[in-house]
Amino acid sequence: LQRKLRSIWSISLLILLSRYKDRHLHMSVFSQSFSPCGRFLAAGNNYGEIAVFSLSSALSPDATDLSQTPILTFTAHEGPVFSLFSTDSHLLSAGNGEISAWSWAELIKRNTKAAWTRRPNYKSSLEIPEINAMTVNPTENSLVIGGGDNNIHIMDLESGVFKSVLQGHTDYIHCLSVREREGEILSGGEDGAVRIWDHRTGQSVHCIEVYKYEECARPQYGKWISCLTTESDWMLCGGGPSLSLWHLRSMSPTSIFPLSGCQRQANFYQDMILSVGEGQCVSHCLLGGEVKAQIPCTPHSLNTLALNLNSTDNRVRVLTVGGSSHQIDVFTNLSYRTFSLSF
Amino acid sequence: MGAVTDDEVIRKRLLIDGDGAGDDRRINVLLKSFTKWCNSTGSPEEGFTQYQRMLGTLAQCEFSMGKTLLVYDMNLREMENYEKIYTDIEQNITSAHDKISECKKEIQRAKRIRKNRQEYDALAKVIQQHPDRHETLKQLEALDKELQQLSHIKENVEDKLELRKKQFHVLLSTIQELQQTLESKSGDCGDQVM
Repeated sequence: LQRKLRSIWSISLLILLSRYKDRHLHMSVFSQSFSPCGRFLAAGNNYGEIAVFSLSSALSPDATDLSQTPILTFTAHEGPVFSLFSTDSHLLSAGNGEISAWSWAELIKRNTKAAWTRRPNYKSSLEIPEINAMTVNPTENSLVIGGGDNNIHIMDLESGVFKSVLQGHTDYIHCLSVREREGEILSGGEDGAVRIWDHRTGQSVHCIEVYKYEECARPQYGKWISCLTTESDWMLCGGGPSLSLWHLRSMSPTSIFPLSGCQRQANFYQDMILSVGEGQCVSHCLLGGEVKAQIPCTPHSLNTLALNLNSTDNRVRVLTVGGSSHQIDVFTNLSYRTFSLSF
Repeated sequence: MGAVTDDEVIRKRLLIDGDGAGDDRRINVLLKSFTKWCNSTGSPEEGFTQYQRMLGTLAQCEFSMGKTLLVYDMNLREMENYEKIYTDIEQNITSAHDKISECKKEIQRAKRIRKNRQEYDALAKVIQQHPDRHETLKQLEALDKELQQLSHIKENVEDKLELRKKQFHVLLSTIQELQQTLESKSGDCGDQVM
């Protein structure tokens, strides 16, 4: 509900605010994605714009202030860009209920013509539900989309046909994750349930209602799940309930992380867990449940965290975070913020 | 580079001109005094003193020559020394690079091991919360035994009940028969009395 209200509010103020010089004050970065070569970063904000930054020039020894601004900014959608995903050649962006694909090669040449734009088959044509999360299932080469209509749509990337719809959530979907080996799709939603779907049969194999577990639940925040990530047999999920680590084979929570505020994105990295959310910091946690460090950053509340693992060039292996600010913090060393890119 | 060093060399020569001019001057003076001495018409003492003076200058020249030769040798040896140190340092640099990359690999390995240990710990914590398998088995066994005992008792009770039922049935049927015989007998007796 919070997200819906926020999106309606931001769309209605979009026209007014984007004309003013202090649009930067009201900007929020919702999504990020690195290019397949690892040298560029694309970020999407609440005005529906996408900015492409050149990481290699921002990180080079002779970088100037100008290299910390985008090489290209364009309006991609009418609504906020809540999700960005990169395939081997294209950048997929989701906004205003539709998905557009932009060729990375064309974007680097500053050509902003979309390769294609598609829209899932929504039942009601009156209200267009926003798309909150997108991910790719590599084994089937399909795009998994989770949105405001409580359903998960699966689209074949080659043909563009929407193959199936997974129904089961009773409120809109916040986050998605794919377990390649087991062929499962996991989705977390506003209804507080993490559902595990088998991508072949399209049936919900398991449903974990995190808020029903005493150790995780935080009723003062609510029951929604806003962040979900998986790695082999382990799953991290959080939002209203505390961020918790789950062992998927036994479907039991093994560690609860004492982070105040609702976490919006978490990642496994080497032997640590990196998490961002409400709170002006990036939290580093150990799998056992202790919070090792909290690194301060510019935005007051963070929405997205991205790790550049695409490139072998060590210079561009960075962590970037964005949130309720027009600045995106870049960390070359996980322990401190190196500099900020400006939208 | 060649042009620079030439200029440097020329500049240095001009600077050290004092010394070089000293040696050259000495040799020129020696030559001049030698020719003057050869053509001298002065007294033999003067000639002798000239001769001694010339020997002195010659010795000075030889001395400075010896000195420069030694300096030259020293420079050559210093150069060799520096070359050696240079190659040593290069080797150290490459071995340090290798060690660094080895250590980086070690770190990755250690991080993986730590992650596995942490996963193990996390699972172990959950498992600890569940009761011990042996205890549960023992409890199950005890419950089994109880069940068996209770079913045994139930069987016994049922058997007893059956037995009592049968005994009562026998008793009741004998009573009925007796009643009947008594009734029939009493009827007979009544007839007989009448």
